[in-house]
Amino acid sequence: MRYQPLNLGRWILWGGMALLMAVLPLVFTQGFAISLLSQMGIAIIFTLSYNMLLGQSGMLSFGHAVYSGLGAYIAVHVLNMASKGQLWMPVSLLPLVGGLAGAFFGVLFGYVTTKRAGTTFAMITLGIGELVFSCSLMFPEFFGGEGGITTNRVFGKPFLGLSFGPAIQVYYLIALWCLASMALMFAWAHTPLGRIANAVRDNPERAEFVGYDTQKVRWLTLIISAFFAGIAGALGCINFEIVTAENVSAVRSGGVLLAAFIGGVGFFFGPIVGACLFVYFVVALSDHTKAWLLYLGLFFMLMVMFAPGGIASLVMMQLPVIARGRFKELLPHYGRTGAAGLLLLAAVVLTVEMTYKISVDSANGTVMKLLGVEFDAAGAGPWALAGALWLVGGGLFYGGWRRLAHAWGEIQADIAGAGT
Amino acid sequence: MTIALQLSGVKKSFGNTEIIRGVDLAIPQGERHAIIGPNGAGKSTLFNLVSGRFPVSAGSVRLNGEEIAGLKPFQINRKGLSRSFQITNIFHNLSVFENLRCAVLWSLGYKYSFWHRLEALRDARARAEEVMESIGLAPRRARPAGLLTYAEQRALEIGITIAGGAGVILLDEPTAGMSRSETDHVVALVRRVTEGKTLVMVEHDMGVVFGLADKISVLVYGEVLATGTPEEIRANAAVREAYLGKEAGHA
Repeated sequence: MRYQPLNLGRWILWGGMALLMAVLPLVFTQGFAISLLSQMGIAIIFTLSYNMLLGQSGMLSFGHAVYSGLGAYIAVHVLNMASKGQLWMPVSLLPLVGGLAGAFFGVLFGYVTTKRAGTTFAMITLGIGELVFSCSLMFPEFFGGEGGITTNRVFGKPFLGLSFGPAIQVYYLIALWCLASMALMFAWAHTPLGRIANAVRDNPERAEFVGYDTQKVRWLTLIISAFFAGIAGALGCINFEIVTAENVSAVRSGGVLLAAFIGGVGFFFGPIVGACLFVYFVVALSDHTKAWLLYLGLFFMLMVMFAPGGIASLVMMQLPVIARGRFKELLPHYGRTGAAGLLLLAAVVLTVEMTYKISVDSANGTVMKLLGVEFDAAGAGPWALAGALWLVGGGLFYGGWRRLAHAWGEIQADIAGAGT
Repeated sequence: MTIALQLSGVKKSFGNTEIIRGVDLAIPQGERHAIIGPNGAGKSTLFNLVSGRFPVSAGSVRLNGEEIAGLKPFQINRKGLSRSFQITNIFHNLSVFENLRCAVLWSLGYKYSFWHRLEALRDARARAEEVMESIGLAPRRARPAGLLTYAEQRALEIGITIAGGAGVILLDEPTAGMSRSETDHVVALVRRVTEGKTLVMVEHDMGVVFGLADKISVLVYGEVLATGTPEEIRANAAVREAYLGKEAGHA
């Protein structure tokens, strides 16, 4: 790592990110796209805050939704009080309330959970998660029972012309908070505490012998992480104008783990990619197919098996190859294997969708439509096609993969040989 | 003569087995003290007791006159005692430079700060680079510690131990598993980096022990059999019988 007082590349990267977030809703102007982008922004904050624990500090948490969820609940109550005129709180600063609430519960629960690391930590977070979720059903005054707590983000006079009524205004509010949170979390990774958190992840015992109380490192890290989770929670409250028990549920906690893992916990940008993909799966894909959860699970499984470092690691693996100008040798292999992969994907989709049609949705007849083509899922033809796709796609993929692995191995050997 | 490290009546039992059976030691400031003894004598256990890795069952451990028995490892480290490990204990995914920078942060007073930018901490960088230079790992600066050779990892282990500037250094078999030339290299390194400090060292290589130590203690079955200068230890009949017997010629 070179020391660069003025890191130009970093400025370009962050500037480009800000520009992209500013321009995207101007390109994709449909309401659906704005909603998707808003949810992605919230998920990015939430997933990055989660990765402060998992990737940076080695804490596998199964209860991170507790902090975003409770942050959201506090935020929704504050918002309701503000709209009744009981206190002064502009909507644009509400995420700060969520963040502070998240941090507060981080202080409280974190003191218990961070007593231990590793598996014990994971188990305690699971317990705390269940505890808070069961509380949400026990205290309906605060949690709103099954219906949750609703709110209205539009109240009072518009400030600087902003009422936060239109979704686009909410999107830009989320984008601003997202950008600020990303920058702060990135900065955190480059502070003494951030680096020592890495050290505690790698070797807690050694960290104790260079003067650090590892328990305190974990606790402080968790509090900061919970702060950002709370910001995400409050933004979600503004965006949806409702907070339900689902916000503190194990489903939400598991989702953020999935998102972080898919993106890759080893690199800062990994969870950003993972959050966007995850939201796409949950929001966009669920509109198209009932089997979206199955696809998500399948995708997660494949990632864990074949790319445990997530998408980020797949990208970073290419960099040394590109730096040595040998990426073009791999391109045809990527092309062939990718095309075969698409055939396999078609086989998976066709099989899954037809199975769903017949087993779940056959009351409406077995005629279905996929990619604009209408066919009968009970007929032999489509199944034969699916079988053929499996065989041809599988064969081509296997061959392509082997040749890709061979070419990859040769390049890696050359790089390693040149390095020593 | 100030005593840097004083052990009195230190005992340690695991279950019914007494591993350390009443050790008394007084190591003056600036001394290089080696602890030798046959396998299973309790040398590493003694280190673990002094550094707070295990609690003592009985007895007292004083660092510069202050009782440290019962304190946590990080508390003992903050009082100026640092140790290395027999089995390499480093931060595997961090670069050599980051390993050393982590090791100096507390001693420079940055504690748990999340309001300083690491890159702006010139003193931390300078100190880490100084240590990196002195252990000869400057050319490996950006390499993840897990990818270093064994000898390089051992050097880094020593670097992490001394980086915080502790006055009392405990080295647990710094030359374990090394070739002759690597061992010579480590001896020179240890001599250099512990200049003016109190060094306590567990070591099996008698060449290293007799070349480096001012005083030697022989630990047998959890008790100190003898303490003295290398000449005294060499001449001690009980030691020759108990431990050096086979190796006396080599030494």
